[in-house]
Amino acid sequence: MTTQRVLPQSKETLLQNYNKRLKDDIRSIMDNFTEIIKTAKIEDETQVSRPTQAEQDHYEMHVRAANIVRAGESLMKLVSDLKQFLILNDFPSVNDAISLQNQQLRSLQEECDKKLMSLRDEIAIDLYELEEEYYSSSQWDSTDLPLCEAYRRRDSWASANSSNSSTHGEREDVDGPPSQETNPQHHLNGHGTASVEKP
Amino acid sequence: MANDRLRALEDVEKEIAMVLQCAGNIVLELSKDKHNASFMDRQLIQFQNSVSRVENELSGQIRYLTQVATGQPHEGSTYSARKDCQMALNRAEYAKVKLGELGRTCEVMLEQQQQQQT
Repeated sequence: MTTQRVLPQSKETLLQNYNKRLKDDIRSIMDNFTEIIKTAKIEDETQVSRPTQAEQDHYEMHVRAANIVRAGESLMKLVSDLKQFLILNDFPSVNDAISLQNQQLRSLQEECDKKLMSLRDEIAIDLYELEEEYYSSSQWDSTDLPLCEAYRRRDSWASANSSNSSTHGEREDVDGPPSQETNPQHHLNGHGTASVEKP
Repeated sequence: MANDRLRALEDVEKEIAMVLQCAGNIVLELSKDKHNASFMDRQLIQFQNSVSRVENELSGQIRYLTQVATGQPHEGSTYSARKDCQMALNRAEYAKVKLGELGRTCEVMLEQQQQQQT
């Protein structure tokens, strides 16, 4: 309860501080500028001699100009603080930004999946024709494994190799089953890159 | 909406620079022997307008923040949507890899057939 009261008060205090800084800086700029203009007015000689008065006016103008620049710098810092406060605490705009980003990402994901689905449908037709061609070609032997079985065994060997290579650091087990060497066409026709790339 | 407010604050920064520049131009003109009165009037009007614009804009921003600011941190995130999108891109990449393998397999078969025919 006490903690909840502290946080809003700090935000309120911060914003009141921002208001105060704004008012003070604007007032400083206006007052100092007005005084510079007043000091620039040529007046009749007073008790102070002219060079002394000129020196005094010169110094005063320097100080007031420096005050104006300081107030301008302070206003720039205030703007920077307001930008930071806005980014962190402007919940409506943060919510809008998050929902917009989510919408864009979801639309990209849906488009990607839609294209993959259409690609799947097209590839299924082509694969059917490829399989027809393969099974009716002279390269296929009736004793060979079906493509699906060859593919399944290749995946199981690949997973076994990844677990063995982590312990042995070699790939000799890749050529484990002897049928792979005698009938390289299983992998060549099903998954040619596996046997072509191996040493 | 957030970009509009941030852009407005950037314009305020430019106005502050304009305030200082106008003040400097006026003092510079006053330092000359012969003053250009019309130039000084223009600079003075621009100085006053810029100062009032800066004050009004910053007051408006502070007033808006007083209304919308809470003491709590924002807990929204785009992580789930970003993760789903990343997985979709990974699926597409995987499909591309597999299609590449299929293409190479077909090329190897064609080469073999050509060799057998020759």
